[in-house]
Amino acid sequence: MFILFILEAIIISLSIFFTQNKMVTFILSSIFLISLFVITGFAYIHIEEINSLYFKFDHLGVLLTFVLVILSISTFYHSKLYLQRYLFTAKQEAIYYASLIMLITAMMSAYFSENIAVMWVSIEATTLFVSILIFHERTKDSLEAAWKYLFVSSFGVALAFIGILFLSITASSNGITDLNLHHLLLVSKLMSPIWLKMAFLFVLTGFSAKMGLFPLHTVAVDAHTVAPPPISAFISTTLMNVGFLGIFRIFTIIAQTDVILWAQNVLLIVGVLSIFMSAIQLFRIKHYKRMFAFSSLEHMGIVALGLGIGGLGYYAAILHIVFHSFVKAGLFYQIGQVHQFFKSYWIKNTAGYFKLNPIGGLSIILGLISILAIPPSGLFISEFLTFKAMFIQHHYYIAIFVMILLTVIIFSFSKNIFHLLYFKDENEINKNAITVNPYETISQFILFGLVIYLGINPPLFFTDLINAAITVLK
Amino acid sequence: MISFLLIIISSVFFVGILTKVKAKIAARKMPSVLQPIYDIIRLFNKGAIYSPITSVIFKMAPIIYFSSILLAAFFIPIGSQRAILSFDGDFVFFAYLLAIGKFMMIIAAMDTGSSFEGMGANREALYSMLVEPAFFILAGSVALFTNNISFSDLFLHLNLDNNLSYIIGIAAIYVLVYIAMVENSRMPIDDPKTHLELTMVHEVMVLDNSGFDLALIHIATWLKFAIYGSLISNFIIHTVWTWYWQIIVFFAIQLSFSAIIGILEAFRARNKLEKNPQWIIMLSAISVVVFLTALIITQKIILN
Amino acid sequence: MTYLFIILYAITLIYFALSERVKKFVWLLSIQGFILFGVVFFSLHTLEIFDFLFILIETILVKSLIVPLFLNKVRKHNHLKREHEPSVPVFYSIIVVVVTLIMSFILCNHLNNNQIHTKYFTVSFASIIFGIYFIIIHKNIFSHVVGYLIIENGIFLLSLAVGSEMPMMVNLAILLDVLMGVLVLGVFINQIGDTFKSVEIDQLSKLKD
Repeated sequence: MFILFILEAIIISLSIFFTQNKMVTFILSSIFLISLFVITGFAYIHIEEINSLYFKFDHLGVLLTFVLVILSISTFYHSKLYLQRYLFTAKQEAIYYASLIMLITAMMSAYFSENIAVMWVSIEATTLFVSILIFHERTKDSLEAAWKYLFVSSFGVALAFIGILFLSITASSNGITDLNLHHLLLVSKLMSPIWLKMAFLFVLTGFSAKMGLFPLHTVAVDAHTVAPPPISAFISTTLMNVGFLGIFRIFTIIAQTDVILWAQNVLLIVGVLSIFMSAIQLFRIKHYKRMFAFSSLEHMGIVALGLGIGGLGYYAAILHIVFHSFVKAGLFYQIGQVHQFFKSYWIKNTAGYFKLNPIGGLSIILGLISILAIPPSGLFISEFLTFKAMFIQHHYYIAIFVMILLTVIIFSFSKNIFHLLYFKDENEINKNAITVNPYETISQFILFGLVIYLGINPPLFFTDLINAAITVLK
Repeated sequence: MISFLLIIISSVFFVGILTKVKAKIAARKMPSVLQPIYDIIRLFNKGAIYSPITSVIFKMAPIIYFSSILLAAFFIPIGSQRAILSFDGDFVFFAYLLAIGKFMMIIAAMDTGSSFEGMGANREALYSMLVEPAFFILAGSVALFTNNISFSDLFLHLNLDNNLSYIIGIAAIYVLVYIAMVENSRMPIDDPKTHLELTMVHEVMVLDNSGFDLALIHIATWLKFAIYGSLISNFIIHTVWTWYWQIIVFFAIQLSFSAIIGILEAFRARNKLEKNPQWIIMLSAISVVVFLTALIITQKIILN
Repeated sequence: MTYLFIILYAITLIYFALSERVKKFVWLLSIQGFILFGVVFFSLHTLEIFDFLFILIETILVKSLIVPLFLNKVRKHNHLKREHEPSVPVFYSIIVVVVTLIMSFILCNHLNNNQIHTKYFTVSFASIIFGIYFIIIHKNIFSHVVGYLIIENGIFLLSLAVGSEMPMMVNLAILLDVLMGVLVLGVFINQIGDTFKSVEIDQLSKLKD
């Protein structure tokens, strides 16, 4: 069934690419969205089942796919607005949609793959399609960012492959030759620790290019700066989830053995370093999308901290990653609207947004509250749980250091956003020249509201999914 | 004794054949094979002129250079003919004999007080220093391979049978050919024909020598060529062959060695001077690979 | 016989450190493809015809023919002749390569493990480290792609070291990686060459704060 879905997506995307017609594109993308709903429903019904030999609809995959589906809807919607507004040709639109559809398919296959080699191939495929999308606007800066992203990401994924090979060395000495996850979990206690450690290190370093953690985070930052806003929203959320899933799979194998203490220490170090880098860099940033990209770095650092703490931290990490996806996407969509007014993303070119577009300004304030983990945002709940887990496990110094860094980040972030909203500028921009449809902001309110609702009063199936996803770690 | 005589005989004709090959390729009229002998005889008949600035070192140096190389030739076996002198670890002694000769030439060049010769001495010292690891590692790996540390025993027990040891043989010959060219200051390290100030290396060191000294230096160069040629031929000659067959193959190898050097000289240009060190270090790198191969063959490194 | 090819592979790594012309890089990559085919041919004893064909295609066809031809086209399109002065002189690069080779051989001597075939692991480890070093010292994005391919060759040897059965999935993954990566990278290099009029990496540093 899943293979059918992949085949259908390939056919749709190829037909969009070859018939470069706006109407055909619209129809085929809608068909794709409907099939996306169908496969997600199918996956939820058949949870924990193996399908098409290499794919399994496990809990974490289903949860992340829900996030993916919600964000796909909003991305398609905002992409349509973006492409209309900036008048691209039919050919460029076709390439955009075809790559977007293939990207969503590759991400779904990475979420659901049971075999680690298939997961690796899907992640490699996502790199390819993201580079095409980053290069969409054909400017010099986007070419440079696309090149750097493609090269460093391929290099990182090659490093992760070395880690997977190390894993298979120790697996094959215990009789498993096919790299299926449940087979590996069976023999995980017998694997030699040194190979597990090396595998974990290489996989962490390699997938940090995708997830946006400390060693290879710089390319993600560059890519987010120049990509079109709907794409930035998409890749800074769901793609980082793919990176997280890659690291998480290896982590589950290690969780059955004694190496877990060492692995958690490594994750703690990486998490703290990521937050530290983000705090330092946020002082110098003068570009909005870059600022959001560094904020993603910080939140991924908190997720790594959650994984590294253990116990309550596992729950908090997954909660954090789900909420962060929604909030960050909403922020990026709104910045796309800001660009309409000021024609630029540089901070110095913007002023007094609240007066020009009150609804947009309101959504930015809501987004600011959400991303900085101020109550009632759902991110507050997850960060609270992370710190609680840190205090339970007696990591006092780390907790205090991270809190100080988070305060610094709150300061830099708010300073820039308040400049955007309330700064009084001499050259007043003519308010009537630019009209923005206020209904475009509805999607962001929905996303922020969803985060608040899921944080305060999560529905039962949501918490069940998360709890089931982390049982394998106990 | 026979090996020493063979070396002397082959050294006489070596440079003649080399020049002949070069001239033939360049479509010039070939000089006679014995032309270098006539040059030597002419130089013997001349008197030597010594600059008043130089000291006794300048007068001593060519004689020490020549005698050290002659002594070094005592140590080389050819096929199954033993060398005149041999003891354990004599290849180290051999290398240092050649180094003493070169050292005397260097300080003699600096003794003249000319900055020009000093520059040449400088470069010559650098290239010798860089090529020394290549020779030692190569000799060391062959010694490891045959488990003997004297030249005579080493080549006696050298048998290249399985295909991995062919790598040792071929790489050793390749490196030795180039070491010979570096030590004798031929292309592509140094052009013996050039007399442009900035590009001379060896020629400028012997610029002030004349008469008998210059003749000794020329003979020493031939001897060095013949020594390296016989080292190379040792890799090819199997000790189980009959003695006349070995001598014939030896002369054939010397002939082809000189022809190859002639061809290399005719077709290659001299390296840019700044590329010389990296080119010479490449020889050491290849000899390190030979060393690793020897380690693998003799099972000192266990690889499954 | 496999040892012969492994030693030849080590010698090609030394030549990579020595050479400065871009044409020679591509030529050396092609030779490495042939050497890898030799390694596989002499080391796998029980091989079905399908696996053998697949490995033949992967090493000779892709690594030795298609990829170097494509890279040559890209090189001619951008008029690349020689690498302008790498940031570390060639002299020290050769020393680094030799030290890396010695280190990897010593490491594998200590790693007496019957889980991995250490004879492949030595050069694969040296190849990966040298590939990373190659990317660091060269300032030309074409050379970066060459360094990436050296790392991929090292990963191929590592997959040989892992098991003697050589699962198809691993091979397929490496093949996909090489092919897609090189094709897309080549297209991008052409674009960059056209837009920026040069392929030096100093031109590609506009995206800063």
